[in-house]
Amino acid sequence: MAEPSASLSDSETVDRRAFLKRFAVAAGGAMIESLPGRSRARAGAAEEAFQLRALEPDPKRGGTLRYGVASSPAHFDIHQSGTVANIGAQGPMYDNLIRRDPRDGQTIIPDLAYRWDIAADGKGYTFHLRSGVKFHDGADFTAEDVKATFSRIIWPPTGIVIPRRPLFSAVSEIRVLGPHKIEFRLKEPRPRGFMFSAFASGWNVIVRKKTLEENDYNLRQTPNYPGTGPFRHVSRKKDEVWLMERNPHYWNTPLPYLDRLAVYNFAPFSPELGAALLGGKLDYARIVDTATLRRAQEQPGMTGATYYQSVVDAVWVNTRHKPFGDPRVRRAMHLALDRHALIDVVKEAAPYLLGGFVYPFSEWATPRNEMIQRLGYQQDPKPAVEEARRLMAAAGYAAGLRNVDFVVREGTSWKLWAVAIQAMLKEALDIETKLRTVQISAFFEETQGGNFDLSIGAIVSTLIDPSDYFNAWYGEDGPQNYSKWHDPAFQRLVAQIDRELDERRRRALVRQGETILEQDPPFLPVAWEQLSDAWYTYVKGQQPRHIFGIYDVARWDVAWLDK
Amino acid sequence: MLKYLLRRLIFGLPTLVGISIVIFVVMRVLPGDPLVAMFGAEGFQRLNPGDRARIMSDLGLSDPLPVQYVHWMKDIASGSFGRSFFRGDRVSELVLHRGPLSAEIGLLSVLISWLVGLPVGITGAVRPNSLADNVVRSVSVLFLAIPGFWLGMLIVLASLFWFHYKAPLVVVQLWEDPWTNFQLAIGPATVLGLGQGAYIARMTRSCLLEVIGEDYVRTARAKGVAERLVVVRHALPNALLPVITVSGILMGFVLGGSVAVEQAFGVPGLGTALVTAIVERDIVVVQNLVLLYGVIFMLVNVLVDLSYALLDPRIHHE
Repeated sequence: MAEPSASLSDSETVDRRAFLKRFAVAAGGAMIESLPGRSRARAGAAEEAFQLRALEPDPKRGGTLRYGVASSPAHFDIHQSGTVANIGAQGPMYDNLIRRDPRDGQTIIPDLAYRWDIAADGKGYTFHLRSGVKFHDGADFTAEDVKATFSRIIWPPTGIVIPRRPLFSAVSEIRVLGPHKIEFRLKEPRPRGFMFSAFASGWNVIVRKKTLEENDYNLRQTPNYPGTGPFRHVSRKKDEVWLMERNPHYWNTPLPYLDRLAVYNFAPFSPELGAALLGGKLDYARIVDTATLRRAQEQPGMTGATYYQSVVDAVWVNTRHKPFGDPRVRRAMHLALDRHALIDVVKEAAPYLLGGFVYPFSEWATPRNEMIQRLGYQQDPKPAVEEARRLMAAAGYAAGLRNVDFVVREGTSWKLWAVAIQAMLKEALDIETKLRTVQISAFFEETQGGNFDLSIGAIVSTLIDPSDYFNAWYGEDGPQNYSKWHDPAFQRLVAQIDRELDERRRRALVRQGETILEQDPPFLPVAWEQLSDAWYTYVKGQQPRHIFGIYDVARWDVAWLDK
Repeated sequence: MLKYLLRRLIFGLPTLVGISIVIFVVMRVLPGDPLVAMFGAEGFQRLNPGDRARIMSDLGLSDPLPVQYVHWMKDIASGSFGRSFFRGDRVSELVLHRGPLSAEIGLLSVLISWLVGLPVGITGAVRPNSLADNVVRSVSVLFLAIPGFWLGMLIVLASLFWFHYKAPLVVVQLWEDPWTNFQLAIGPATVLGLGQGAYIARMTRSCLLEVIGEDYVRTARAKGVAERLVVVRHALPNALLPVITVSGILMGFVLGGSVAVEQAFGVPGLGTALVTAIVERDIVVVQNLVLLYGVIFMLVNVLVDLSYALLDPRIHHE
């Protein structure tokens, strides 16, 4: 594991190439040196002394950071959640076993585990835990807490739903080897980068065994359960503000630098969030609209940044409805979308990236310069449309389709896109769609129930690693496989990708999978999300430029105020 | 008077029962699943049918509809109004925390509507078809036409970009910090008040014009009473009855309008809570707030009826 890099400056920007380079370094950091008998991560050698510091040389202590983010969770159980409303507000109160470095958003660094060993057969991950760490209620942190936490994540009791559970499907046993030593046994080896990314996911915060037992392993309605994190709960006004104060006993001295954290609840992209920031009521705003970002970047004393998010926006095609079971029809529709135009349509609402079926900014994806040569991704859509018409004719639908039910998830981008896609399908393939806009709570009912022909919305993954989302999005039983798509060759390939330990061969398998997805699309990719934050320049220590998604770096422990 | 009051309240009960049944049924018939908000999109998609059924049962949504309705009525009778599906917050606590701010906005908006509407209406009636009358009539039509939430957004943007001002972000009660509280309430109250003021102005003008032509007004003028006193003492009290009635009806618009206007100003009142609850499909919160709005609307109309007796001695409530 690599030691944290200390070479990033506040003004530095990151492009796709830089991100890939850094992510590759991070992934490489997650790779383990091969030693005889047992192998050990490089950062593991840093021993218990490893402690995080701010990137800047002379951080100041004190002050209250006023942070605006969606922070009115529907419940309080971080493990059971999938929304920023939980991790955005509660993240600062908890620690992980290992984590992504908040200074670059990518390198995996020690957290409550200061060292780890991996068995030579790749089936045992042993973590050495810090001693002397205390929960906010004064209780000691031990390996039993880690076991209780991960046991619930991996084998949740009835009625408990934990979205990150599949990441640990290979874990067969968790063994406590001592008060501060724990081992995860795997049924079969998994790529180490994947396993480390899973452990470091921001969602997998460590909670106390006693807390879980006292609440029957369900924390949905348990506010303020103790963590070991840099901030501790002070008060919460529902839907308004969550106040936290510095944990004076935090193990990672001198963190945190802030005395208090006030987390205000604002909907993402909302004008209220932008107004609160520009009106000086907030110091830092997460997920601002494009207009606010632009204004912040123009205004002296303010700045902003755009970063990658773990979400794809797509149109699902119900393969159980005729004629959408025919791959030619789906590929034709895939080719009929002018993606450059679609990204342009919503650019005032939110920034998006061109991409196919693999995170376009990841090392796994086809490079952009190759991608834009490919049908369906070219600047000039004419060749793709010609091919699309040929495919429709070959499938017997040269005259197009009528009365196609197109479900649209309520939301600015999706509504704009639905109209544009409706026009593109009509013009290119004479497919006539009927738009049906529904609220989010009805959207999933409709899509999961298969009550649609086409359906536009977005899905999220936890990891950038294809083993996570290839199963969830494209797997036969994948929870987000709304199209009910199934390709036996692809399923076999995914099983191989999950088990392949050689990174180069694994990457080649992913490319093979991408080829299958292009020819037999499980959905029609529209664009890949990016998000923007804006803040006053006196807020230091936060580096949103380099992060993948907003869920892994949400603790504010290295943030400080230069005023 | 007391008998009349009791009778009105008893007659109002079937209305409230009707409202409760309508909102109860509507919230259960409309498509949408509260578990989406509860687990987020990713978690919801991983719920198996067994888990889903169990959680719906825990929430009390698996019982037959009449049983659910009886449970709700029991919650109301106990004064707790039940608990939110999410986080388990009591609805009564939500109402107690946010209700005062929304009530302030409503009352302040009525006050503003009268402060603006009455002088404008009187001016128009005293000098009909004059320049001043035409100007104020045009302005009142403008405020009738402008949607409150849009005007609210304009005010928020104007104060932000011209004065770098944004109202406070959290609820501060009047007794905690009157100035901060005033900053929260004044924006939505002004927008709602101006909208109502336009109605008040038009109603005042037309009623006053009618009354000014009456014999007793001519008699007062013939006796040499000053014109100002003729209008204020003799004509206006008689012209006000319909205006008060309109004000009572407008209260309903204030309650409805406050939902959008609170959102536009980002004021965390009951209106904002209602919008959040609708988006989250938090049935318990929605049905209780809608019923609460129904109760308020009914009480306001009873008060309006009672005020008639104070303004017109000929009216007795027996």
